[in-house]
Amino acid sequence: MSSSVNLKKYRILVVDDEKAIRLMLLDFLEEKYTVRTADNGDEAWELLKKDHFDLVISDINMPGISGPKLLSEIRKKYPDTRVALITAYNVDDYVRVAKENSITNIIPKTVPFNFTELDALVYGLLNGDVFGLGKYLDDDMTVLDSTWIKSSFEARDARERVVDVLENKFGTSGDMKLIFDEIVTNAIYHAPTLNDGTEKYQEFSDVTLEPQEYIYVECGYDNEKYAVSITDYQGKLTKETVLYKIDRQITGEGLLDDSGRGIHMSRLFADRMIINIEPGKRTEVILLNYFSHKYRGYKPLYINEL
Amino acid sequence: MEHQNDEQSKQEHCSRKIQVSKRELETVFDAIDTMICIVDNNLSIVRVNKKYAGFVGHEIKAILGKKCHEMFFNCDSQCADCPCLVTFQTGEAVVNKRFIKKNPQEIRYFEVKTFPVYDPSGILIHVIEFIKDVTDEKRMIEQLIRSEKLASIGVMTAGIAHEMNNPLSGISGTAVNLLEKPEKYGLNDKGISRVGTILESAARATVIMKDLLHLSKKNESVYVMVDLNRLLIKTINAVHLEGAGEIQKKFMLDESLPFVYCDPSRIDQVIMNVVTNAMQSVTEKKQQMSAEGKKYTGRIVVSSQKQAATALITIADNGIGINPDIRRRIFDPFFSTKPAGQGTGLGLSVSHRIIEEHRGRIYFDSIDETTKFSIELPLESAGTKIKEE
Repeated sequence: MSSSVNLKKYRILVVDDEKAIRLMLLDFLEEKYTVRTADNGDEAWELLKKDHFDLVISDINMPGISGPKLLSEIRKKYPDTRVALITAYNVDDYVRVAKENSITNIIPKTVPFNFTELDALVYGLLNGDVFGLGKYLDDDMTVLDSTWIKSSFEARDARERVVDVLENKFGTSGDMKLIFDEIVTNAIYHAPTLNDGTEKYQEFSDVTLEPQEYIYVECGYDNEKYAVSITDYQGKLTKETVLYKIDRQITGEGLLDDSGRGIHMSRLFADRMIINIEPGKRTEVILLNYFSHKYRGYKPLYINEL
Repeated sequence: MEHQNDEQSKQEHCSRKIQVSKRELETVFDAIDTMICIVDNNLSIVRVNKKYAGFVGHEIKAILGKKCHEMFFNCDSQCADCPCLVTFQTGEAVVNKRFIKKNPQEIRYFEVKTFPVYDPSGILIHVIEFIKDVTDEKRMIEQLIRSEKLASIGVMTAGIAHEMNNPLSGISGTAVNLLEKPEKYGLNDKGISRVGTILESAARATVIMKDLLHLSKKNESVYVMVDLNRLLIKTINAVHLEGAGEIQKKFMLDESLPFVYCDPSRIDQVIMNVVTNAMQSVTEKKQQMSAEGKKYTGRIVVSSQKQAATALITIADNGIGINPDIRRRIFDPFFSTKPAGQGTGLGLSVSHRIIEEHRGRIYFDSIDETTKFSIELPLESAGTKIKEE
């Protein structure tokens, strides 16, 4: 990740009633950015009245106004300000609240706290620079493999290649085999549509894709994790759809049907799932697995729609 | 002549009716599950039912004429606030008396009701004592109360665990920052090392907290395909008992063991129960050996094996063993070898029930001082494998 001097121009506000959390986020983020902290919603508003902020990160449960409400109001007043929630509780319990307030990023307070992840998230939110494995792996990352999928037949090949390369390198591929299929299936059969909006290809049929429908797969690692990125250049997925599907699976509504299964399984079986959307242009799903269960806690929600 | 015959047959008829009535009453008397004892105003026993005789362990003949306090409590003197005496004095029934009888092995609780019996001229001649053994009922109510308490603690535990996440994250996050850029905070090498220790402690605290959260999850019965090996390791490592750290744990798990169709949270409970007993046995043995000045290493060996149609899990310990005289009572509800107040005696009976529901088997061997509990679960030919989270 590149660090440039002009990152200091970005102003971040951290709102949390736990002092240690405020200070640790301040210490970390002020290395690159300009950071202010507030104990609660009221203090946050005091600071917002005086200065402009590019990003507000807020705890969910605080005395006074809750994080989601605070962020929702901030966005109404300052539509250009980005927002993210952070919580020590189970992120799944707040997906619905996030959906209702149009917030798409919830950072978990893991033990130890995952600063690398925070770094990537903050950078992406401020910059819009969210696509590509390089944002989520360390600077000294290594790319293991990359390939284009041009047909349903090649999809199977690609899966085998990714699984093999991971098994050879790390002795494991986690549940990649399972998840890879789900995500690529979505990309092949659900992304391409006809003019009237219906799906172009019948599910599970043999398909040869047109160039704009090709899917790009990349696989890489750094010293604490490996990741697989799957990108389609249709950009049909929306953050509302993703939130809706995740919410359904969490509440158990969607357990018996296929809709959203790919997203649900990815979130369930991969350590991290990051979804990046450039509407009409491209959709990227990044699946990440840590080598050790170093970060104990709940799984985050990371959806970026530009 | 006819008139006399009529009278005679009427008398015979009445006599027969009385005999039948008497037989019926006697049958009822002896069939009643409550102990019945009828005493006169000297508290001497005039009549008892079979249940009473069975309880005090004497023939009915030997009981009659003895004092009721002598028979029931082996006591020469009358009981303080004897309900029979109250009934004799007041002529009223007493229905709310409780007594405790202590055996060498256990304490039992009795509920006593006394009723007055008047003769045809209205004189109070006898009192009937109904004595009911309410020990099991009492224990069950105690258990219910304890369960309710545990349930509310369970709810609190989840809340506490969550609340602890916040400061723990702060502690570890701050420590990480300090270690990343020690010069920013003026840390020397010693400081760096100490902060590393803070990080390790925070990590340990988090593991315990996660285990608590896991335990306090709601208990809905859900059957899924389970990786028993993973479940064994996770569960056993989550048992945080005093002294558990000093016990050697060895896992001999069959990698080829297929997934088993079962309710993971219930099987979890069974494993926890068996392992906890094993650990307590080992800890007790260690205390014994220490007191005798002998060396001892507590050991628990956990194994899993694929058998023809079942998965077999065994948990063996080298603790104090199970006494031959109590072996057949191990799975009885409320049976416990621990002193009163510690544990409910329900663990193994509930575990037995759970394994039964799974159509499996749970049994044990105790030879010398090696105790081995075995749990068998059927291997289904099942549908898709869904890995446990």
